[in-house]
Amino acid sequence: MSKIIGSVEIGTSHSKALVGEVGENGSLRIIGMASRPNEGMRKGEINDFPKVASSVHAAIADAEKMSGTTIDSVYLAQSGSHLKGRMLHGSAYVSSSDNRVAVTDLERASEEAHRREADEGRNYVHFVRTPILLDGQVREDPVGMQGKKVDLSYWAIDGDEQAMRSSIHVISNYNIEVADLIVSSIASATMVAGPDLRRAGVLVIDLGAGVTDFVLYRQGFVAHSGVIPVGGDHVTGDLSMGLRILERYAEKLKLEHGKAAPDPTDEKQEVWMVGDRTIGDRSVSRKAITDVIHVRIVELFEIIHKELGELLSPEDLKGGILLTGGGSQLPGIEQVASKVLGLPVSKAGFPAGISPELAQPENATVLGLLHYGLQDHGLPGQSKTAHQTGFFGKIAEMVGIKP
Amino acid sequence: MMNKDKKKTTPSTWRDLLPQSPRRPASKTASRKRFLNLTKSFFILLLLAALGSGAWWMSRSDFKEEILSWNRMDPPISRVTFESDGALDHYWFQNWFGPLRGRSLMQIDIEELQSELSKEPQIAHARVSRLFPSTLEVRVIEETPVLVLRLGKRGGGFQDWMVSSNGDLYQGTRYSPNAVSLLPSLSISPKQLKIDPAGKGYRRLEGIAAVTPLLELARREYPAIYRDWKVVSYANPEETGPGSYVKVVAGKVRNLRFSPTNYAAQMKRLQYLLLEPDFRRQPVVESIDLSHDRSVFAKL
Repeated sequence: MSKIIGSVEIGTSHSKALVGEVGENGSLRIIGMASRPNEGMRKGEINDFPKVASSVHAAIADAEKMSGTTIDSVYLAQSGSHLKGRMLHGSAYVSSSDNRVAVTDLERASEEAHRREADEGRNYVHFVRTPILLDGQVREDPVGMQGKKVDLSYWAIDGDEQAMRSSIHVISNYNIEVADLIVSSIASATMVAGPDLRRAGVLVIDLGAGVTDFVLYRQGFVAHSGVIPVGGDHVTGDLSMGLRILERYAEKLKLEHGKAAPDPTDEKQEVWMVGDRTIGDRSVSRKAITDVIHVRIVELFEIIHKELGELLSPEDLKGGILLTGGGSQLPGIEQVASKVLGLPVSKAGFPAGISPELAQPENATVLGLLHYGLQDHGLPGQSKTAHQTGFFGKIAEMVGIKP
Repeated sequence: MMNKDKKKTTPSTWRDLLPQSPRRPASKTASRKRFLNLTKSFFILLLLAALGSGAWWMSRSDFKEEILSWNRMDPPISRVTFESDGALDHYWFQNWFGPLRGRSLMQIDIEELQSELSKEPQIAHARVSRLFPSTLEVRVIEETPVLVLRLGKRGGGFQDWMVSSNGDLYQGTRYSPNAVSLLPSLSISPKQLKIDPAGKGYRRLEGIAAVTPLLELARREYPAIYRDWKVVSYANPEETGPGSYVKVVAGKVRNLRFSPTNYAAQMKRLQYLLLEPDFRRQPVVESIDLSHDRSVFAKL
């Protein structure tokens, strides 16, 4: 029997909801999608709860209507500059007499790594496992191998309790459950960077409207992630202030004529602000637009560069840098990113099988949520625990019927 | 804010932030969804109630009658088996039930038939079942009379009423005169006999339930003594004071008096006494009073 799941991204400019149908063979089919403008967010965080709730609920309702079904639970994206990551380590000595690693040894190491509590007023969002080391050697699945000590690390991302509570409450307010809270950057990377790229090492940068999320993979595992409180809205703001025009015209100019890198051909070109060339309309230098955008984009990548530091080594990032999110559509942004970060940069593509209307950079997170949520992220040898949702699901769980 | 323990085994995760109770809908869409959910729940409950009512309606006897009327094609009852542990027989049942008139098994409401049979004073329990294709099986357990009450008729003559172990009075049907003659008679004052306002004979006699154990014990374990008992009377047998007793007039002992407690000891003493040479020699004993705990007063 197929299963219906949903994903929700509460973005700074838009709320997006997706409804997917998971077939018996595990294949995922997108059957509903909706996007609604969101005016209640600021820098990836909820600023006006009722406005955000209206936007998210309308998006979910539209997606449900499109799919012709209802959803009991969703995978929810979590972003915002309050998110912080750190590496947690745990280790355990192999307990069996023949020195063969058992699942329980991995569990003890995992427990050790999970012991560290988040700071006051903060809760963990995500524990992303890094490679398992058996006597210092990386092992994909050490269960059954001989060794003395198992080392396990998790890239743990924690966030502000209140900000996360608000996001969760937006969903529960619509009477559906949050199946998992997934960091936006990891969701996006799951969608645009396949296992081979992640193994080669890749930095995925998701340029959103309010914030820019990034995640760095080394040897197939998350090595670092972060959120920069700078996004497309800041570029619009800069244009509005720099050119002294209203924000809505600044946004229009950014989308229609914006470029991330200066272009000599723009030197003497003028573009019209409104476009009807009547009273109130005025022309703006295209070079001026590009200059304003360029400064902000350079600053953004410099912040990322500063945060990642030595992690940005060409040896460890053979997959280069991938740009996704709505901001990645800005012409010339790859060149600017490459110049600042010193690595080859390209725009992220989507795997085959995703319809062209869905395979847009701004949908990377909401699509990635479903894919990440369906994957098994447990320890080797551990079975995936699935929580049943909905009224009948809860009853089934109570009486011991597994999904 | 709670001071968190740095060495806790399970750290705080986002799951700790899940709301424990539903919140007021924050958007029109959420309100509409909640309203629709409530409406859906209401209709589900309504449907369940309708199904329950339907099941109840189908279990009604009227509905059964309707079902019966739909089953006119069943073969008519060809055989009625009647079993009883007492005096009632197949002829009695035929007479009581009346002609079958070609009715089929499904046209007989066996629950109602059982109920009607159980209302008969001589029947303690009745069970009716259908044995397809065309046999109606009736089994009854009858009341066992412990005494017989002979009442004179206005126009002369008399009428015997059977007294059951709980004091119910009924006109015994199909008891043989021999069987009735073996039962001791009951002697009571006319005040104790109250007419049933429903017009069905007399009300249950009070106190018989306390006398029955003595009669049952005598019949079961002392049949030689019991056979000689003619008339039984009693006063306040459900009490234990000096004014409560059970009196028996027997062929040999004209006046036997029992206390309505510990009948077993009293019967044992009576048997012992009657085996004494002095008592055996006497054709008639005037009285034996066994109601005084350890002492026995006898008048030869």
